[in-house]
Amino acid sequence: MTAQPTLNDVLANSSLIVTCGPGGVGKTTTAAALAIAAARMGRRVVVVTVDPARRLADALGLDMESRAHEPHQVSEATDGTGSLSALMLDAETTFDRLITERAGDPERAAAVLANPVYRSLAGSLGGAQEYMAIERLHQLHSSGAYDLVVIDTPPSRHAIDLLEAPDRLVTFLSHPIYRVLTLPSRSFAKVTNAGSSAFLWLVRKLAGPKIVEDTIEFFRSLATMEEGLRTRAAEVSVLLRDKQTAFVLVSSPRAEAIAESTHLVNALRDGGFRLGGVVVNLVHPLPPPAEAFVDLAPGLLADHVAYHAELFALATSERSEMAELMALAKGAAEAELPLLDADIHDVAGLKALAEMLVTPSRKLSGSAAAAVP
Amino acid sequence: MDRGALRRLTPTWVANASVTVVAGKGGVGSSTVAAALALVAARQGADVLLVAVDGRPGLGPLLGGEPIGPEERVLRAFKGKGRIRGRTIPPAQAFSDYLELKGISGLLRKAASAASLDVIAAATPGLEHLLVLGKIKELDREKAADLIIVDAPPAGLAAPFLRSASALQAVVASGPIRTQADEVAAMLADPRRCQGLLVTLAEETPVNEVVELAYDLEEKIGLTLGPLVVNACWPDRPGLHMSPTAAARAQGVKLSRAAKAALDVSGEFGRQRLEGQSRQLTRLGELLPLSRVILPRVPTARFGPAELDVLADALSVEPVGAR
Repeated sequence: MTAQPTLNDVLANSSLIVTCGPGGVGKTTTAAALAIAAARMGRRVVVVTVDPARRLADALGLDMESRAHEPHQVSEATDGTGSLSALMLDAETTFDRLITERAGDPERAAAVLANPVYRSLAGSLGGAQEYMAIERLHQLHSSGAYDLVVIDTPPSRHAIDLLEAPDRLVTFLSHPIYRVLTLPSRSFAKVTNAGSSAFLWLVRKLAGPKIVEDTIEFFRSLATMEEGLRTRAAEVSVLLRDKQTAFVLVSSPRAEAIAESTHLVNALRDGGFRLGGVVVNLVHPLPPPAEAFVDLAPGLLADHVAYHAELFALATSERSEMAELMALAKGAAEAELPLLDADIHDVAGLKALAEMLVTPSRKLSGSAAAAVP
Repeated sequence: MDRGALRRLTPTWVANASVTVVAGKGGVGSSTVAAALALVAARQGADVLLVAVDGRPGLGPLLGGEPIGPEERVLRAFKGKGRIRGRTIPPAQAFSDYLELKGISGLLRKAASAASLDVIAAATPGLEHLLVLGKIKELDREKAADLIIVDAPPAGLAAPFLRSASALQAVVASGPIRTQADEVAAMLADPRRCQGLLVTLAEETPVNEVVELAYDLEEKIGLTLGPLVVNACWPDRPGLHMSPTAAARAQGVKLSRAAKAALDVSGEFGRQRLEGQSRQLTRLGELLPLSRVILPRVPTARFGPAELDVLADALSVEPVGAR
């Protein structure tokens, strides 16, 4: 039987780490801490964040709009041989870059970028942000500049959206309606497929003629890029299932978050993705049990006793929720992070968090010693 | 029950508008607050329709009923006419209801089924959200309930969801979708028909996020905001501001070594949480001029109907702090 892997092993042996999990659990902060931990092991690491809270963005030097979307070094993060770079994901900019790369000539690219349908699609197409997260990951991974890419995923209740994004794009491109829309204009006039032309009629009827023209034009220009987009989607799909790719699930110990996480663990398994680790964040400390105070009158000590009872009940209940998730995620590295009394807003705070992630004694244990900040 | 009667039985804000949209960033408990609000009104005899936009499955059982699905079902009934019905609104269903409502049939109907909603929605960004809001608007127009409570999508999706109508107004110049967008925008901006109930925690990032969300919704879509709900606050206990030993001395009790060890751990953590909580409540007051309702932290990781009753009781108050 092999020993339980640690997050150390995952950080040392992966070339790509994808953090995923429910919203509001500190996923972005955890991704940054994982990246720092790996950088401090001597690796060249880049972390891609999505919509970080302001103070975390400041800590990573992502405060200046002008440079936030390109990787730049966070020099205080390491003191040895490794390095940490950070950047913020901007779905629109990445989409633009993809179009520019794939369009072939600048004129065609400019036409697509100026199209109003494209403009609203790039920001809001269902799953566009997820797709762009993995597109960016592919760019960084294949650049050769980094040993490890850590990518944070957009907050998503159904986090499998991310994993399905490449396949969804391909499905979209294969849809019969799309095929009709991308025919050259002359044969388009001859289209007799009632379903397809009625579709255009419907859109025109519902949303007006202008949007139909823009839509047709947009899909036609996309057609020249279709092959490239398909190839990229296939590459990313393979990369996400590579043995050097690890998913790290970040959750909180609340029942709703655990339920979503459970769903996600199953989805990863079904999709053939490797769950490398599970981090449970925002865990309340479990105090040692206290004897019952019989007939204690209300008062200052009673305040302490009442609070102890509530904290003990809450922390115990959190640990039983966590146990359920860990049983399901058997074989993955595990770590537990305490609920801190202030948000992390500097690199020193991230380093301290990184330390907790890779210290083996901090495995999910349910013991009081492991949970006190 | 008319809303005037309901306003006399509940805190007035509960029935200020016929549609209340409950929203918050991920992890702050906005779905739970939506369920508790439904309970507040239904206990007083109101017929409440709870719409879970994202279809959170646990919401029905939390209210003591079956999981919520696209088919409307009664989740809980009270003495008299009070009841809570629940449903989701899948965009595809909203779309087909919409076509039916508009009397669109024949070839167009066929076209609509030939092209999946995915493709049509791709050509008209924000359409899915608009269709769902449009369905809510129709339910309100039909007076489908005394009170409609909408559990908005979580995480970063609440703002795009509520902004979909104004976003579409910018892209679509004419046609039925434009009309629909105009009507939805009018509903969101009408304080008698619609109010927003924002939920947050007394923690740094949730406070920052709710401030941003509040200004976003008020400025961009003109949504009237009800009181701000601050969820999961520890009650202030004066004893926690001193050590357990000092507290025991003050109360004339001698602590055993084991009791001291246990209370030292919980007391230190509790004091830090209370201090942090009070700092964040002060910030919130400075940053956001909304009245607020404070909900207690219920000491469990898993909510059930009993815990929901506790929250409903705490919600049944007039908010503090002036607007």
